[in-house]
Amino acid sequence: MPRYRGAIMCLAGLAVPALGAGQAVQNATLRNAQQAYDNLEYRQVLTLARAALRERLTGPERARAYELLGFTYGAMDSILKAVDAFKQVVLIDPERQLDPNRVSPKAYSAFDVALRQVLLVRQLRIDSVSFVGGQGAGAVPIRFTVTQPARVVARAISSGTTVVIDSGAWNGQVNLRWPARLASGDPVPAGTYTVVVDARLGQNTASASQPIRVSHGRVDTLPTVTSLPGYQFLPETEIPPQSWRPVGLAFLYTGGALVGTLGLESSSLGSSSKRELGIVGGAALVTGFVMMLRKPAPRPAEANILYNRLLRDQIARRNQDIAKENVARRQQVQVTVAPVPK
Amino acid sequence: MTRPALAALLLALAPRPAAGQQLTVGPQFVLADYREVASGLRYRGSGFGGALWARRERLSVEAAVLRVRLDPAAGSAATASFTATQVDAWVAYDVAAYASVEVGVLHRSADPEFDAQSVGAVRVGARSFYDIGPGATVVFRANYLAAPKFSGGGRASVSLDLGLGLDLRLAGRLHGTANYAFNRMNRRTNPGGTGEVDAPIQQSVARVGLALAL
Repeated sequence: MPRYRGAIMCLAGLAVPALGAGQAVQNATLRNAQQAYDNLEYRQVLTLARAALRERLTGPERARAYELLGFTYGAMDSILKAVDAFKQVVLIDPERQLDPNRVSPKAYSAFDVALRQVLLVRQLRIDSVSFVGGQGAGAVPIRFTVTQPARVVARAISSGTTVVIDSGAWNGQVNLRWPARLASGDPVPAGTYTVVVDARLGQNTASASQPIRVSHGRVDTLPTVTSLPGYQFLPETEIPPQSWRPVGLAFLYTGGALVGTLGLESSSLGSSSKRELGIVGGAALVTGFVMMLRKPAPRPAEANILYNRLLRDQIARRNQDIAKENVARRQQVQVTVAPVPK
Repeated sequence: MTRPALAALLLALAPRPAAGQQLTVGPQFVLADYREVASGLRYRGSGFGGALWARRERLSVEAAVLRVRLDPAAGSAATASFTATQVDAWVAYDVAAYASVEVGVLHRSADPEFDAQSVGAVRVGARSFYDIGPGATVVFRANYLAAPKFSGGGRASVSLDLGLGLDLRLAGRLHGTANYAFNRMNRRTNPGGTGEVDAPIQQSVARVGLALAL
């Protein structure tokens, strides 16, 4: 046995990946437990790891302590206890993954059983992708793993928008394709989103999230038009030519009043004073004469008004077509999605 | 504040009318000639009045008030002067671009009461109006004076009123107005039950003034 001792220690060292440089174990008890595990002193490992768990530990240290327990129970053939310890590991760090090529089959088996007994959403991955929105093929690939059959909802959440990506009863590896489109067909607004996957199984819930950045390419929209080539608006008023009409009308109206007055005068009362009619009639005649000499007032040009109305209708129709075209162009914008490091 | 400055301030402060609405109001100087019963009973005089005219779409309203002191004319048999106060009002509806039908009232009272006939009547008629230039409109009016009532009694089966008007925009919102009205009432009375006798009434009035368009 002693001659295999070095080889076993080597395997054990491989089987329990050390914490990263940024996750160095600070707790002395846990360091001793690690040391005991490296020396294959399993009872000592159990004692020290349990003692460490009673002390103040960081999250990674706590996961490390349970992981030591899991591996140790596995090595001691206490599979149920190993499973319990690994359950604690994945509850603390759902992304924890064991390399089947580097750990013992017993430990890996216990870890796999632990994963199946805890509801987790893990290994959420969103690939960088760029595609033209509004066209069938383009979509953002999203994949994740659900460790138990559960009702799962995937959403993309930003400060102003929440878009449901997909939902369903899923288990195991799930692959989604998100077209990054709103219900209207427009692409989701550019900005930073968080893709959140929520899983629910009875009272148990689990979730995972991944920030992403959505950016849009430039959209060449058509400008609206205010005129049509070759067609110009015509003046809607026209100044009629000078004529005798003003003085003629003043004379006609004044003459009418004079004739009416003369006709209505009572013979028994005598001819009435014409002073009043003279003042008003004279004023009307003078005004008519002045108006005859003045530039006539502009009057509506009905034909031009009708022409302008038709032209405006044509421009409005053209702008409606442009608006539809611009909507389609905005939907076909180049959409780029990239995950953002947490 | 001087009167011109006050007038300028009023012009500046006057609110603009809504689209399709017009309103003018202003004072008028009045000249009048009045005859009654016989050619010997005639009066002439002058006074002041005011007029208001408003339009909304095809409906227009016009009202005029005048107060004239009428003195016996030269060679008149009349001996005493009197003051006539007359109120005219019309409501007109445009039936064509240059014509309206109108209804209204006329009421004229004399002070002292028995120095001349006071009369009230309903107007029914039409008027024609035409823009003879920028801001210049001439109007000709003919009204039948229906159901006239006289303070001295009697009736008038034929009573007519003719009018000529001019509205000229002088500057901005300031208009000049001139109106002429001639009315004749073939009044007949039966004093003491001795048989009907003619007692016609005839009046011509000229009103000249300014109006402010609001």
